[in-house]
Amino acid sequence: MIADESALARLMVASQKGDANAYRVLLAEVQLWLERYFRRRVAPAQLDDLVQEVMMALHAKRASWDASRAFIPWLAAIARYRWVDHLRKVYRTAEDELGEHDAPEDSEEEAVLARMSLERLFVHLPDKQVEAIELVKIEGLSIAEASQRTGQSESLVKVNIHRGLKKLSALVEKAE
Amino acid sequence: MNRVPNPLIDQLAGDLAPVRPIRLIHGVALVALAAIATVILVEIMDGLWRGIVDGTANGLFFIANGMLGLLGAASALAVLKMASPRVGNSHEGARWSFAMLGLLPATALVTLAIGGSLASILADPYGMECMGAGVGFGLVTAAALVLWLRRGAPVSINAAGIFTGVAAGAIGSFAYGLACPIDTIGHLGIWHVLPVAIAAFVGRLVVPPLIRW
Repeated sequence: MIADESALARLMVASQKGDANAYRVLLAEVQLWLERYFRRRVAPAQLDDLVQEVMMALHAKRASWDASRAFIPWLAAIARYRWVDHLRKVYRTAEDELGEHDAPEDSEEEAVLARMSLERLFVHLPDKQVEAIELVKIEGLSIAEASQRTGQSESLVKVNIHRGLKKLSALVEKAE
Repeated sequence: MNRVPNPLIDQLAGDLAPVRPIRLIHGVALVALAAIATVILVEIMDGLWRGIVDGTANGLFFIANGMLGLLGAASALAVLKMASPRVGNSHEGARWSFAMLGLLPATALVTLAIGGSLASILADPYGMECMGAGVGFGLVTAAALVLWLRRGAPVSINAAGIFTGVAAGAIGSFAYGLACPIDTIGHLGIWHVLPVAIAAFVGRLVVPPLIRW
């Protein structure tokens, strides 16, 4: 079971004071929390990298948590920020390797779960932007394949991904 | 329970050092000091308008500068909170304050247009000076807010840039407004509000690269 808000907050207070044991426990809990948080939001093969990236961000920015405010919403905001960053990187790679991008070899069920979760997160985005991001980011299709699947031109797929990511980045803190 | 040992945890724990956590109240004090320093700077460089205390200044002077001051405070508070992010931050107060300030130029344009004297805005000999001074004096607040954001972990980078600009422009224009004796709607509504719009635009362009992490 993952520790609750008050336990995590206590561990974080101790960690900010330099208590390495409390920090180890906190990071282990945070790792589990992030794995669960991201499981349906990224392609399974990229989950570990993203979790580690957020843990390093937490470490670098641990002074930015104000003990008078809740811990989990702070962690979630940082996790979302890194997640949008991660999507951008995947997009750049997809653009660089237009036509050569391989779909991840994970189960179709995982990809479906990922898509469902994104649909919940993406309620503020137009359907066409969500569709383009899901196909290229989660299912790992190339721009050309996404274009065929959606009936959107390749440029439109790119524009929809670009605009969708821009909007997502503006929603990192705002969307609850 | 799936708890696979993670070498990264040991590495980060080994690197752990005590940190001084961000406190919102410290940020508020920093911005307050920046605003006070700006007003002192205006007094030294231009001299505050004595008409404020001897009853010469009209009601519009207090309304316009009051709106600028409040917008500066609301936007600065939004920026300070952005340094310690959380899901659920919407910064609505700053947005509404910004929208409310739009009443000043709207009123100026409508009343001057009805009176057939829109051209008087461009003919204002002190307009550019007030606009430039508002932006310039805003740099003190902008520097304080950027420093604060760099200490924190802003996740709404573009919004932080815009609100830093709005806060800086509003506080700069508020401070310089205390030295400007022209209290007409055409002057205050246009030339003292433009610094906010300009600083917001500049903030959107300049601040994000400085605070991205």
